[in-house]
Amino acid sequence: MIWDRLDKDLVFTGIDGTESNDILKYLGGALVKSGYCKESFVDALAKRESQNPTGIDMSGFGIAIPHTDISHVIKDGIAIGTLNNPVRFVAMGTDDEFVDVKVVFALAITDPIAHLAQIQTLISILQDPNVLESIWLSNSPEAIIGTIKHKESLL
Amino acid sequence: MKKRVIVACGGAVATSTVAANKVLELCKKNALDIEIVQCRVSEINMNITGASLIVATSKVSKDYGVPFVSGMPFISGVGVDAIESAILAALRD
Repeated sequence: MIWDRLDKDLVFTGIDGTESNDILKYLGGALVKSGYCKESFVDALAKRESQNPTGIDMSGFGIAIPHTDISHVIKDGIAIGTLNNPVRFVAMGTDDEFVDVKVVFALAITDPIAHLAQIQTLISILQDPNVLESIWLSNSPEAIIGTIKHKESLL
Repeated sequence: MKKRVIVACGGAVATSTVAANKVLELCKKNALDIEIVQCRVSEINMNITGASLIVATSKVSKDYGVPFVSGMPFISGVGVDAIESAILAALRD
């Protein structure tokens, strides 16, 4: 399950930012501060995003799932941030298409094969634009985690 | 003979792992015996020999002379049927 592993100290509502890097610094910094990632994580996240962008149009709702090499990660975690105003990310699989992103899920992953089931579950949850809209409109980490818990129970 | 499918992304961390598993499940369901090589886009070159298909969740600008299918629908959930058909078509030849 995803929801019961979410750390509410890593869930943020109403982040302000004008470019994707602002958001990466905010969420990446939180993962470092909470002991999930090494100091090098934030720069590595920004570098990877510039080479392999992670913006995704989920049936009309823009999200990003920034992540980077496992060597910068200490333990698995997900930092979630809802953005006050959409921030433009480059779309995954392109270098010239853009997605206006409203919610960002920064992933700290130590072993993609071992955690495949969780990564797949997360992707399945995020494929529902109604869930994303509900997360975006939430006012608290508890509400966001509750939305994810509910969706997960329906999968 | 086992057909070789390359599943590539930028860092071989999250999205290509999901895509690789989806391709494997699809082939199992359709009784196609395949071998998956998961790598970075920059490593396609060294794995291309004998490959029948490339599935990628990152931009692949080079033409390697084998069929290419974007794996993005496995992530976004939109257009999955179309790429599943394309993957099966490429592997049934």
